[in-house]
Amino acid sequence: MSILINKKTKVLVQGITGGEGSFWTKHMLGLGTNVVAGVTPGKEGQSVEGVKVFNTVKHAVKETDADASVLFVPPAFAKDAAFEALSAGIKKVVIIAEGIPIHDAMEIRSAAMSEGAMVIGGNTSGIITAGEAMMGIFPYWIDRVYKKGDIGVMTRSGSLTNEVTAMLIKAGFGVSTLAGVGGDAVPCTRFAELLPLFQKDKKTRAVLMIGELGGTMEEEVADAIESKIFTKPLVAFIAGRTAPKGKKMGHAGAIVTAGKGTVDGKIKALEKAGALTAARPCLAGDLMKEALAR
Amino acid sequence: MKLFEYQAKDIFEEAGIPVPKRKLIESASGLDEALSATGFPCVLKSQVLQGGRGKAGLIQFAKTGQEAAEKTGMLFSPEKNVRKILVEEALKIEKEIYLAITIDPVDCSALIMASSEGGMDIEEIALTKPDRIIKEKVNVFRSLMPYQARNIMFGLGLSGEAFKQGVKILTAMFGLFRKYDAELVEINPLALCGDGRLIAADGKFSIDDNASYRQKNFAVSRDHFSNDIEYEASLEGIPYLLFDGKIGLMCAGAGLTNTVYDLINHYGGSVSNYLEFGGPNYRKALEAMKFTLRSNPRVILIVTFGTIARADVMAQGIADAIKELKPEVPIVTAIRGTGEEDAAKILREMGLTPLSDTEDAVREAVRISEGGLK
Repeated sequence: MSILINKKTKVLVQGITGGEGSFWTKHMLGLGTNVVAGVTPGKEGQSVEGVKVFNTVKHAVKETDADASVLFVPPAFAKDAAFEALSAGIKKVVIIAEGIPIHDAMEIRSAAMSEGAMVIGGNTSGIITAGEAMMGIFPYWIDRVYKKGDIGVMTRSGSLTNEVTAMLIKAGFGVSTLAGVGGDAVPCTRFAELLPLFQKDKKTRAVLMIGELGGTMEEEVADAIESKIFTKPLVAFIAGRTAPKGKKMGHAGAIVTAGKGTVDGKIKALEKAGALTAARPCLAGDLMKEALAR
Repeated sequence: MKLFEYQAKDIFEEAGIPVPKRKLIESASGLDEALSATGFPCVLKSQVLQGGRGKAGLIQFAKTGQEAAEKTGMLFSPEKNVRKILVEEALKIEKEIYLAITIDPVDCSALIMASSEGGMDIEEIALTKPDRIIKEKVNVFRSLMPYQARNIMFGLGLSGEAFKQGVKILTAMFGLFRKYDAELVEINPLALCGDGRLIAADGKFSIDDNASYRQKNFAVSRDHFSNDIEYEASLEGIPYLLFDGKIGLMCAGAGLTNTVYDLINHYGGSVSNYLEFGGPNYRKALEAMKFTLRSNPRVILIVTFGTIARADVMAQGIADAIKELKPEVPIVTAIRGTGEEDAAKILREMGLTPLSDTEDAVREAVRISEGGLK
């Protein structure tokens, strides 16, 4: 089992004929992903890596029953593409693009919430169920990161995900599903919203969360643990402990403001709820062993 | 991108939000003309982006031309980044109101916050007396409804003309919030004056950087940065912060860079610059190394674990940069991810010893930066 995506998920690729779209379609297929269709307006009738291309999502869904979509479109077009997928009835959408305007993200999330859909991203590597399927841009062939197992991973980062997950694998664990919510200030899906899925998934024994300073997503996870929405072990690593206050350190989401969103505050909230927090990435593996032994 | 107060007030004026009589000056020579527009008493406001200007002495009052000239001379200071001063009429303020619109990322609404206890201590009030802050959430598709503006203005205790004007101001603010892709529109204080008028005595306006492609009226300038290097790096699209420590950081991925920064502090080292050249910048190793060297590091530490940002491409970029720049300081690397075997080979050919563990690399960089032998 897994969350969000497995071998049966019928994946649509929006922007499939572009450089990134075609390159990663090849690799999604390579992992075993059931990519059923692609969409690029004006390119209907072509095919990419053997996948049929349609002009519209509506037509693609009618012909192939696609039930999930991954977007390889530039940030300025992400809103249009996401709304096209939602209006065609797709309930799972992954947006890879980095640089989506915040007001667009706000509208996308707002619409997804009212339609009961889940949009993941932007500014993410996507979601991958190790050894099965992915919607995104993961180098799944790097075995010391994307090894199959029973730990769910959720993250705000890209490179840091590789760094911390590698430590988990080194300690003998593997990954069930890894979901990147993205590094933006307004992620369309938040950490705490993934927890009920990991809770339900029989193959996920525990969750590793890779967080960062800024925002309140990690605090929301602490709340979900406190209120027993999530009862499996959770280990967290949070970057930005020593970031100077008020400085914008790269990610738009990583801004410290008015006492909220500090790493200290997040760690306190998580530990109070019963989660374990790793002070350094190399400690994540041992802490996971400890959490599971409890 | 944060706008300066004078830019925020120009936008407010364009939207019909009352602002004080004012004139921007870029040198003392413009003062007399400005004073003839504002009259006395006047306020001299340094145009810098940091908050707490009043408490830092960057805002001064003057009753005469001589006093204004003296204080203007004192405020202009390239070292403190004060290159522009906004000269304004001083308002007779009876009450200071706080009014702001920002984004609530959880339920994705626009969040209006207001308080009748505005002014310099609003952050303190938000922490200690949160019930004094009135909030109203606005659905982005439904937009601001008149009843919501009324809720806020009655909540602030306004009545009569001031109430009507308040509704107009908030409605205009919401229009600006959407039109300019704002992360924050804030008026603090919105001054209730002796004559019953509401006037935006200050203005904060922050435009989403991701929307800069469709918000072309504003561009970052040297004034947005505290030094030349950070400004020039931003023109290259490279996130960069200058510090006064010893290790020049060249990392890829914001989360990983933050982590390496933490690890350096953990092992007792110090950082001369923060630089992130992942994502779309992963082919910019040469520019990244130039900016890193300008922070005068004792050692350069390069840590990456990229997927799209291929390790071999980055390693080749670094090799080319070393050939061109011939840095005299040692370089420590942990370059992993897609193509990492080729990356290690490229680095070895350059005479470097590529490491594969982040903490090993950090410890090595700290050791060298504190005077250890390479």
